Amino acid sequence: MNFLQGTLDLLILQALSGRSLHGYDVVEWIRTTTQDSLRIDDGALYTSLHRMEQRGWLTAEWRVSPKGRRAKYYGLTAEGQKQMRAGERQWARFAGAVAKVCAAR
Amino acid sequence: MTDLDAEVEFHFAEAVEALVAQGWSEAAAKAEAERRFGNRRRYRRDLERIERTSKRGAFMSLDRLSDTLATDVRYAARQMRRRPAFSSIVVLALGLGIGATVSLYSVVNDLLVRSLPYHEEARIHIFWMDDNWRGEEYDFVRERRGVFDDVAAFSTNSAPYHSNTSASGSAQLLPFTVSTASLFDVLGTPPLLGRAYRADDDRPGAAPVAVISYDMWQRDLAADPDVVGRSVLIDGEEVRIVGVMPRGFFFPTPQVKAWLPLRLDPSSPAYRDVGYLSLVARAREGAGAALVESDVQRLARALGERFVYPKAFDKTKNPSTTPVHQYLVGETRQPLMLLLGTVALLLVVACANAAALVLARTTDRRAEFAMRAALGAGRSRLARQIVVESMVLGLCAAIAGTAMAIAGHRALLARLPLRDGFGEATAVGWATFAAALALGLVVGFAVSYAPVRNLVRGRLDAAVGRERGDGGLHRGTRRVHDAIVVGQVAVAVLLVTGAMLLIRSLAELHSRDPGFDPQHAATLTLEASDKTPDAAMRAFLNETVRRTGSLPGIRAVGLTSRLPLRDLFYQGPVTVEGRPDLLGTNRPSALYRTATPGLLDAMGFRLLEGRWIDSTDVATSLPVTVINESFAKHMWPRERAIGKRITTAYSGTPISRVVVGVLREVRFTGLTSAPPFAMFVPLTQHTYALTAVLVVRSDGDVTSLLPSVRRLVGELDPQVAVTRVETLQQVVDNSLLLSSRLRFFVSLFAALALMLGSVGVYGVVSYAVARRRAEFAIRMALGASPSRVRRAVLEGGLFPVVAGVVLGSGMAAGVARMMAGLLFGLSATDPASFAAAAGALLVAGVAAAIAPAIRAGSSSPVEALRAS
Repeated sequence: MNFLQGTLDLLILQALSGRSLHGYDVVEWIRTTTQDSLRIDDGALYTSLHRMEQRGWLTAEWRVSPKGRRAKYYGLTAEGQKQMRAGERQWARFAGAVAKVCAAR
Repeated sequence: MTDLDAEVEFHFAEAVEALVAQGWSEAAAKAEAERRFGNRRRYRRDLERIERTSKRGAFMSLDRLSDTLATDVRYAARQMRRRPAFSSIVVLALGLGIGATVSLYSVVNDLLVRSLPYHEEARIHIFWMDDNWRGEEYDFVRERRGVFDDVAAFSTNSAPYHSNTSASGSAQLLPFTVSTASLFDVLGTPPLLGRAYRADDDRPGAAPVAVISYDMWQRDLAADPDVVGRSVLIDGEEVRIVGVMPRGFFFPTPQVKAWLPLRLDPSSPAYRDVGYLSLVARAREGAGAALVESDVQRLARALGERFVYPKAFDKTKNPSTTPVHQYLVGETRQPLMLLLGTVALLLVVACANAAALVLARTTDRRAEFAMRAALGAGRSRLARQIVVESMVLGLCAAIAGTAMAIAGHRALLARLPLRDGFGEATAVGWATFAAALALGLVVGFAVSYAPVRNLVRGRLDAAVGRERGDGGLHRGTRRVHDAIVVGQVAVAVLLVTGAMLLIRSLAELHSRDPGFDPQHAATLTLEASDKTPDAAMRAFLNETVRRTGSLPGIRAVGLTSRLPLRDLFYQGPVTVEGRPDLLGTNRPSALYRTATPGLLDAMGFRLLEGRWIDSTDVATSLPVTVINESFAKHMWPRERAIGKRITTAYSGTPISRVVVGVLREVRFTGLTSAPPFAMFVPLTQHTYALTAVLVVRSDGDVTSLLPSVRRLVGELDPQVAVTRVETLQQVVDNSLLLSSRLRFFVSLFAALALMLGSVGVYGVVSYAVARRRAEFAIRMALGASPSRVRRAVLEGGLFPVVAGVVLGSGMAAGVARMMAGLLFGLSATDPASFAAAAGALLVAGVAAAIAPAIRAGSSSPVEALRAS
């Protein structure tokens, strides 16, 4: 649960880094970037988006998409930016630790 | 359509469109989009909950908190199950502390805090010179009651009683209070059934009535619904019950089962001569302490103008009132508060112990915490986890403690330093449970403090880079551990010192000579009804002494009116020959006791000079008396007391008695107080003898002879109640009852503190050794001898112990001064007690640290490295 939550948040923050996307774009970006290897429910990504919006890590606004549909666009706030950096560091530390353990064997 | 639905709708539209563009059929694309989205209803619900949170702000963050809290609690429960030994030790130790604390708290609350069962008790006052007011004075005061709404007189007594009117079955002893009818107005408690007695019941010659306690109604009269109007036999007299007081009502002690009208008779000599009443009054509404005080001064002046007082009973001197609360339960305050303080300290030790264990556990779990931190759990999240785990421990301890409090309540009450009967006025109730719960939460929070502080300071999560977790004990953890040991040891030293002081004080008291021989002797009180003619009573008593003396195994039998060390009262002014300075109001007061010839041997008194009362002292012979050592020494410091005369008016008219003997000092009023003056007179030369104390001495075990003595008395007169059967040793022990009960508890708690302290030292030292095992192994591999490692561990472990002993002794010196009033025959800074306590803790500390030290000295490098 915690693993999933922390990792999902980090993935979404990465997706939104430097741009604003609507939910479907975020889902698609993660799916294509990870080559669909994480098998995460789209629904789970939405809950993550909403939770981060509620925490103040993301901004959200309704705009009209290039295809002419009303869509909710998300972007990073300064706090979101900070959280993303922190998440990256933690992830690197964790990955490094795991790598070291694996290398030690 | 809500924003939420619009967003999900948009998602599906986009997803299906994209899939169709990839060549999926419309239907297949829809199915695929659903599959990718997952359980739509569940996510919909989750999203709604998140939305709600943002809209309702603070309210909802509580909702979210309770959500995650549930997760935390589940996780904590799992952690507890995973370490059953650790969890049960912590829960038991804390439970013991909580249980003991709440038990005492409920007693203190019921007796000292909760209001008494009277209406506006703050307005009720007891007058000075308790037990000393005459009927005449009462009427005088009541006429001039001034600031008081009403005044009542009362006196507590006991008499044989039958719950029927035919006097069938054996008599029981009924403790009752006689009072004026105004008592019920003063106390302001309406009866549960029937009515209180009224002024017309409280008149000489009125038909005898009684109001009984709820307890008497329930137990002795089987809760008879028609109890009002029923008659019982009290002191040989048929008494009609007119009312039942509500449950929980008592006055002046819970032992009193009935209230009877005093029926003061202004025509009787006792009305003017005998002072045996206590006065209680209700102040007018709004009358402050100053007003009551000045009114009492006014009453004292009025009394001084109307009556002439001897010096010993001068009611114009220091008039004062005591609040009823102070009067009834005041003397139990100090010992109870001392005990409550003691258990609270014990709880602190138990908390410290648990904190040390929890800190050790969290230190061991830092890898887990670090991992969780890396996975996105914030520090506050981890801190909350630790707090929740500790809270769960605390709550389990609260439940365990409540169970112990309920199970042990009766046993606790039986051993508390309370006056008889007061234990019955307390109960374990909801307040107890609430207190236990609150304590559990506070304790849980306190226990989590050290680990959370370490976490917040970043001492736990820095461990990820460290592949081997045992690179030594974290300095922060060690410092906290040392501080915990110092605190625990200090509190244990404090408690053990207090216990040592009480133990030595009591040993000192036990070694004091009571002036009689308590071994192989026992006593029974014989109570006859008021209606028994004097001659019949005398015949009965003579026969009892004669027949008891011929029972096999009995060596001596004697009778007296009041037993030394146990029975008080019966004292009054005496005129002493050769002391013209001690006349009128300067007359000394002496205890007045009757005796038979056999009493000297039965009690084991020792004669200093002269002779004891013998069979030649009869009603018609020269009136004689035997006095005690202090009486003789104070009255005739430079002369022989034998042959001097002492005049008393105990039998109504003044009688002058010749001193024929002096007894080696007998303790009458207690082992701690200075012996009062006392005189024994022959029973044959005294006119009033409805109550007699029989004393028997045997060759061997005296208790086995008591049933035959009782049987004998029953055969001689079935109307006489036999009460207060006890050995003289029990009389001595009972006189020290409060002290020994206090000692029992403080010793028990001190022993527990000592044990918990030892466990704490052991736990902390073994933990440090376990963590540093590899270090020791390497040190020894590099040439350090095992004995050096052992010494290092021992020294490291004992340092906080020594610091704790020093700190605790200092604290004890301060606290001991506050309990000086409870110590006898030794000073509050008694060096032996302090040394013994410090020694006990040091020995316990060494004993606790030695096993881990030996383990450290035997660390094998290979083993240590393999283990990691």
